[in-house]
This record gives sequence, C-alpha cells and structure tokens, in this order.
Amino acid sequence: MSVKAELRARSGQIRKRKQFILYWLKEWSSWLLIVPTVLFFFFFSWQPLFQGVVLSFFRTEGFKGVEWIGLQNYIDVMQNTVFQQTLINTFIYVLWSLAIGFVVPIVVAIAINEMRHWGSLFRFSVYFPNMVPGIAAAMMWMFLFNPGEGGLLNMLMGLFGLPSQEWLQNPNMTILLIILTITWRNFGATTLLYLASLQGINNELYEAASIDGAGIWRKFRSITLPQIAPMISLMLILQVSGVFQVFNEPLVMTEGGPSNASMSMMLQSYFYAFRYFEAGHSLALGVVTFVILMLLTIVYFKLEKKWERE
Amino acid sequence: MNKSKGSGIIGDLEYRQPRVKLIYWLIFAGLIIVAAVCTLPPLWVILSSFKDIKEFYAIPPTLIPRTFHIEKVWNTWNQFNFMKYYVNTGYLTLGSLVFCLLFNGLAGFFFSKLKPRGSGFIFLLILWTVLLPNTVGMVPLFSNIVDFPLLHLNLTNTYWPMWFMAAVNPVTILIFKSFFDTIPVSLIEAARIDGSSKLGIFFRIMLPLSMPVIITITILTINGVWMDFFWPYMVLKDQSQWTVMVAIYNLKATLPMDIQFVALTFAIVPPVLLFLIFQRYIMQGYSISGGVKG
Repeated sequence: MSVKAELRARSGQIRKRKQFILYWLKEWSSWLLIVPTVLFFFFFSWQPLFQGVVLSFFRTEGFKGVEWIGLQNYIDVMQNTVFQQTLINTFIYVLWSLAIGFVVPIVVAIAINEMRHWGSLFRFSVYFPNMVPGIAAAMMWMFLFNPGEGGLLNMLMGLFGLPSQEWLQNPNMTILLIILTITWRNFGATTLLYLASLQGINNELYEAASIDGAGIWRKFRSITLPQIAPMISLMLILQVSGVFQVFNEPLVMTEGGPSNASMSMMLQSYFYAFRYFEAGHSLALGVVTFVILMLLTIVYFKLEKKWERE
Repeated sequence: MNKSKGSGIIGDLEYRQPRVKLIYWLIFAGLIIVAAVCTLPPLWVILSSFKDIKEFYAIPPTLIPRTFHIEKVWNTWNQFNFMKYYVNTGYLTLGSLVFCLLFNGLAGFFFSKLKPRGSGFIFLLILWTVLLPNTVGMVPLFSNIVDFPLLHLNLTNTYWPMWFMAAVNPVTILIFKSFFDTIPVSLIEAARIDGSSKLGIFFRIMLPLSMPVIITITILTINGVWMDFFWPYMVLKDQSQWTVMVAIYNLKATLPMDIQFVALTFAIVPPVLLFLIFQRYIMQGYSISGGVKG
C-alpha cells in the first residue's frame, strides 16, 4: 500500500471517529430520555417472550430451566388427551365468535346509522356494557345463567313456557354462552368503530344511486358494504386473534369445565403453570398457540392480498 | 328529535314510502330490544343488591324488586372493608397514570421530535410488540416479578409491576407521537435558542400543548386500571393489597350470593359514573380511531 492511500484511510477513520463523538455529544441526552421506556419494554415484554421460547425446550423446576430436553415438553403436551379437545374447543370459540361476535356489531352499527330517532340513546346503551368490568360481567352472567329455579334466565324461560336449562353446566352450550357473554360486553366498542366509518361515507354516493333508481338492498350491497370493507377485514383478524387467546371469561365462569368442555389453550397453559406447576409444559403450549396464530395471520394476509387483486 | 340524517341507505324520499317506513320501525323495535339487553342486566344486578334476604332468595326471583334496603349495602361496605380496596385501586391508578403519561409521553416526544439517528429501529421494535400475540410471556414475566433480574427483588404484593407495565403501552406511545407531530418545530427551536433543555421542552411546551390528548389518555387509563384483573390477581396475594376486581373474584368462593351481588354493584358503579361524566371524551376517542383505521 502506498503511503498516500494509508494516510487517506487513516484520515477517513479519524473523521468517522470524530463524527461518532460529535453524534453522541449532540444526542446523548435524547437517548437518555428513552432509556427507561426501553428498559420497561425489555423486562416486561421482549425478554419474557424470548425467555419463554427458550425455556420451552428445558426441563423446568419452579420457573428455572435445569436441563435441555429438546422437544420433550412439546411431545408431552400434545400427547396429553386434553390437548386435542382444547385445540378443538379453541376453534369452536373462534367459530362461534365469528358467527355472533363478528356479525352483531356490523348489523347493529348499520341499523343505528339509519335511525332518525333516538340515535344517540342507542349509541349510549350499546356502549354501556363496555363500562362493566370484564370480571364483573363474567360473574354477572354466571349468576344470570344460574341453573335451577333460582336463576333469572330460567325464570324468564318459564314465563314463555320453555323448560329450564342447565346453561353453563351443559357441555354443548357452555362455549356458546361464554362467547355470548364476551360479545355482550365488547360489541359496543366495535359498533362505535363501524359507526365512525359508516359516517365517513359520502352521502352523494347514496343520492346518486337513488337517482339511478337503486333500491335499499342494492345500495346496501353496492355502497355500504364495499365502503366499510377495510374496517370489516381489520376487525376480522383482530377478532380471531383475540378470541384465540380467550382466558379470563372461562376462568371466571367455568374454570374450563364441565369436564374440560370450555377449556381454551391459554387457560390450559395457565393451569399448567400455576395449578400443576409445570412451567415447561405451559410454555410449550404457549409456543404452539403462538405458532398456530401466526400461521392463521399469515394465511389471512395472503388471502386478503389475493382478494384485493381480483 | 326527527331529523334528516347525514349519510344513510334510507334516503328522505324513500322514507316516505309506507313499506320502507314499516321496515324502518321494525329495525327501530329491534334496536330497542338490543338496548334493553345491553342495559337491563347490570341494572337488575344493582337493584337486586338492595333486596332483603327473603326476597333475594325467593323462587322465582322478582324482576322488579319490592324491597329496598340501603343499609344492607352500607353494612357490606363496612364489614368487608371495601373502603380499603377502593383506596388500593386509587393508589394503583395514580401510579399507573404517572408511569403511563411520563414514559409513554417521553417516548412519543423522542420518536416525534428528537428523532436521533437510529431511533427508527427502536420504533419498529415497539410497533412489533403490538402485533405479536403474547401467549408465551406469562410465565417468564411472573418469574421476573418474583425475582426481578439483576436486582433480585421480590415484587409480589407491591404495585410496582403494574406501574411498570403501564409504561409498556405501544398504543399510547403512538397516540402521543401522532399528536406531537402536529406541534410546529419552530416552537421547539425557539425554546432551544432560549437555552431550554430537552426535558424542559417536554414539560414546558409539549405537555401543556397536548392537554386534550392527556385528558383522553387519563380517562382511558383510569378506566383500564379499574377493570384490570389478571396481573393484580397474580401479584397481589395479600388481602390488604387487593384491588376491587381482585377482591370480588377472591371473595367469590366464600361469600353468600346476596353479598356477592352487593360486591358486584361496588365494582360496576364507579366506571359507569366515570362514563356518564366523561362520555364525550370516551366517544370522541372512538371516532378518532375509527376515522384513522377506516
């Protein structure tokens, strides 16, 4: 190497170092402001996620990993007879919530948007359940679903001449009832989001369609639905992802029973960790849930792109 | 309250047709039923908690209570020390509010105005945190709380974990950032020339200018902390530390049903009052986010 080139390289290095020092002289105080927030994110979000995935490959004692055992935790969890049922249950949760929790806010929002009378009253009452804390709502419906003659719903059934029900104790009904409870509590917020997007539709579209002789049904299909379609597709994936992780309501209302009929994957994972004290199994189930959810999301976005192209 | 609406499927002309009018009123009746299903069950629970014991356990239960005993609620309040749980929840809320506003606000300021080279990467990381479903973090997070890394502190039965988690709130950071983006840079330049430090700019310029956002976030945080169940339940095992939600869940096994109804009333009434007072702010939040997403 010639002397000249060497000098140039060295001066480049010095310039770089100088820039680096100048950058920190100027910016160290900015970075200092973000340090606490990043630390909180690290210890309460990123590190647990990472640590959880790593620990799922270890035999655990308490919350510490003691021995690398590869996929043994996964094999144990999947061979457990409860696993298959839990997986099916979780998909039943998702299906019911798509049939009920996903459709109700769309219908109600469109209906409220049409109202010339009492519009704000409906808006208020639909959002009202959102103000009831989730745990309190679950407990409240548990009381209302009380089997036997003391239950309010059984009393109402009696008024209409219908037989008393077992409600949550009935294994065929329990998931549906839990979904109804979740929907009751949450659909108001989603309805408000749809309403905001419905009100953003330009009224001239409707007027033009009317002049062209389009009826109500035609306007609904050709204007309303396409206009709120982006919102619908966003809500769809949020709903699936949310219900897939359903946890609080079955814990409070049924504890997964009767005989695991309402056990969801997250609840099972919680029981593994804090009831049977098998942290490794809990984490393996958590990772399985995570992977299924990620696959669902990726497939969904692929499909959505395809629809958009067509 | 009969008015012509802004935008809807049923136009003014169609509304005059009798057939359409019939459909309209059928939908109206349907919405009345929906509204009743939404509001009546909590009201029934609240009213039922005032029934006397005989009426409460009557079979079949009464829809409209015949007895009204306010002293029963008062006795339950005293006997089970609900004042303590309310104070605890208030204390938890206050700390969460400080952590949430201070650290998420600072982060919003950092990503919106300071933006040193390399900050984009951190922002991306924080955005990813929203997208990833957290199905794995429960156990390691709990073990972090029992034995905090590096410092080896046991944080159970303290409010610190919930306070720290209040600072881990990507959505609030996004709200702060997008609001700070609307504040002109010239204000900050001027303050810098006057010799104000970065923290000084944040506290003297950014925060006072973003009062509307702070009010909305404050209300949402108060509401969220009141309803928060899982982590308080995991962390606060000592009865003297319980929040209201933890208390009503833990007392479930031991209390007779009529007392549980009173406890439920204690849990439902405060957020409903908060909603009635601040309705405008809460609803506004939804129309903002609806407009952004849609």
